[in-house]
Amino acid sequence: MSEAETVAADSGGERFDGPTIELRRVRKEYESGAGTVVALDDVDFGVQPGEFVAVVGPSGSGKSTLLNVLGLLDTPTSGLRLLRGRDVTSLDDEARTRARKDAIGFVFQDFFLIPSLTATENVELPTLFGDDPTATDRARDLLRRVGLGDRLDHTPNQLSGGQKQRVAIARALVNEPAVVLADEPTGNLDSDTGAQVLEEFRRICETGVSVVAVTHDPLVTEYADRTVELVDGRLGGVDDRHRSRPRPRPREADE
Amino acid sequence: MNLDTRLDGRPRLDRRFPATLMAWRNLSRNRLRSTLAALGIVIGVFAIATLGVFGNVLQLSATDSLGDLGTQVVVSPNPEAGVETLTSRDLQEISRATAGKGTAVPLYTDRAVVTGPGTRTGASLYGTADPRPLFEADRGTIPASHRQGALVGSEVATRLGVGVGGVVEVDGTRYRVLAVLAESEGISPVSPDNAVVLPERAFGADGYDQVVIEARSGEAATDVARTLDTRLNVRTERVVVFEFGRILEQIGEFFALLNGFLLGLGAVSLLVAGVSIFNVMLMSTAERRGEIGVLRAVGVQKRDVLRTLLVEAALLGLVGGAVGAVLSVLTVFALWWATPIELAVVLVARNAGAVLVAFGFGVVVSLLSGLYPAWKAASERPAEALRG
Ligand SMILES: Nc1ncnc2c1ncn2[C@@H]1O[C@H](COP(=O)(O)OP(=O)(O)OP(=O)(O)O)[C@@H](O)[C@H]1O
Ligand SMILES: [Mg+2]
Repeated sequence: MSEAETVAADSGGERFDGPTIELRRVRKEYESGAGTVVALDDVDFGVQPGEFVAVVGPSGSGKSTLLNVLGLLDTPTSGLRLLRGRDVTSLDDEARTRARKDAIGFVFQDFFLIPSLTATENVELPTLFGDDPTATDRARDLLRRVGLGDRLDHTPNQLSGGQKQRVAIARALVNEPAVVLADEPTGNLDSDTGAQVLEEFRRICETGVSVVAVTHDPLVTEYADRTVELVDGRLGGVDDRHRSRPRPRPREADE
Repeated sequence: MNLDTRLDGRPRLDRRFPATLMAWRNLSRNRLRSTLAALGIVIGVFAIATLGVFGNVLQLSATDSLGDLGTQVVVSPNPEAGVETLTSRDLQEISRATAGKGTAVPLYTDRAVVTGPGTRTGASLYGTADPRPLFEADRGTIPASHRQGALVGSEVATRLGVGVGGVVEVDGTRYRVLAVLAESEGISPVSPDNAVVLPERAFGADGYDQVVIEARSGEAATDVARTLDTRLNVRTERVVVFEFGRILEQIGEFFALLNGFLLGLGAVSLLVAGVSIFNVMLMSTAERRGEIGVLRAVGVQKRDVLRTLLVEAALLGLVGGAVGAVLSVLTVFALWWATPIELAVVLVARNAGAVLVAFGFGVVVSLLSGLYPAWKAASERPAEALRG
């Protein structure tokens, strides 16, 4: 527990050579009225710093479950979970929340921006409860970096889907996480906008941040360094592992 | 664009009070619903505060006009027991019981037609040798020992058009007017305004009709009344010992009851307000389930979510309560302005207390109503909330 606290507390200052986040023989079962559902079945999975991994698989195969377990939103039934080499398998809620704040960024299919807050405030959201004097400046910088320098004080309903997703990406990055986890990040976007968002993910990877994106979208796999497939909670069918990093779209995709 | 200027003008999130500002923004999101929820509190607080103050004011006004009635005891024969007048033994008992505790004034009472210089009118007659403890002169003087002449009540004097030095005729006897009595304020056992006070010899000498005792204090009055009741009503209820303090007590009880009833009404409306806030909070947290999940996912602690949601509920209570309290104060002053209620009974600490208590209740009710929905929303596991 106390070691786990330390893990949560140090927010990526030190370099760790192994995977940013890693699951070893992780099993996740859901108890429901109809019986036990095995959503993840002995999954071994790791992401290197700066690596972009796409997770594909049919509906119900456990992709979201995998992200939740990776993102410390849910606790594995058995197995080991490591964040920068430290065991974070069974932290309590408070320590998990702190670890999420420090090391993990989330991007969702439905963006999940708070409609009553401006773009900048949405990006600041993870830092809001706590003393963080530079957060606003960081938020504005990040929004400029994702090309929203002229939308800083707009509310979500004044933004397009792609712009919203870029705000969400900026929000995921505001605490300089070790890994960004994205569930269907292009699911609500047309292919051009999706490509822009994926460009953004590539740029994130260049700064040493790991990205895991769960998707149905073949476009995502084009941008990823590596694609793994989940079928019925089992990880396998890994194609094009360690192939050289593709550059499918030129920079002109930027707006 | 117009919208941009509006947004530029809005205050930045104050990082020192994130919960408050988040809560405020959340409430502003659905203004109508927030307003309706707060309206319940407005009405509840208004009801409790206004009814509380109203009860106080009524009670204070009543006790004010009843004045020092609490020290008076009236002893009269009980006609139901066949007793028509008080005997001299009764009078002895009375003067023994009152010794050192107050003065007892025996009275004859009657009604008669009083004739003045031009007109005549009906009036109450009081007969006493010792009118000073009971009556006060407006003009003229009241004799220490009343042997001749008449003291005329103010209304009778006006109707008959007589003044000090004039003459009135009662039952064929003419009396010189020694004094015109001062108008009575409030309620008293003898009502002087419509009365004529005559010497004892004007009445048939078969016994007094009542004795008015003016005690030194409320306790003395109670004491005297109790003593007389045991001494004079040994076997039968020969005399009626009437203690005005008792009425005061009964009036007090009545107002306490009225107050309780009014406050109960207010409390019910607050309860309803609480239920409506409960409902609104449940609805709005259910709608924001995903958002709250995201808050938790990006690293906001459960307690901070809980605090934000509780602040939302508390803000509804604070705003609703403040509006209710202000409305109540305005209403009370309108009441003061429109009715003969005196400012002195409005500006008492108890009234301020009633308003504050009502306000406090409003806030507490909102907080309590928000407790469960906030706890429920904050405790939901983020993975569940995000699954939608
Ligand atoms: N809280 C839960 N309780 C019970 N069963 C659950 C729960 N969450 C997920 N499951 C089950 O676990 C399995 C994996 O679900 P998951 O949401 O991870 O699938 P997915 O791959 O993300 O699907 P999709 O592509 O449709 O989003 C499914 O069979 C689902 O029914
Ligand atoms: Mg899913």
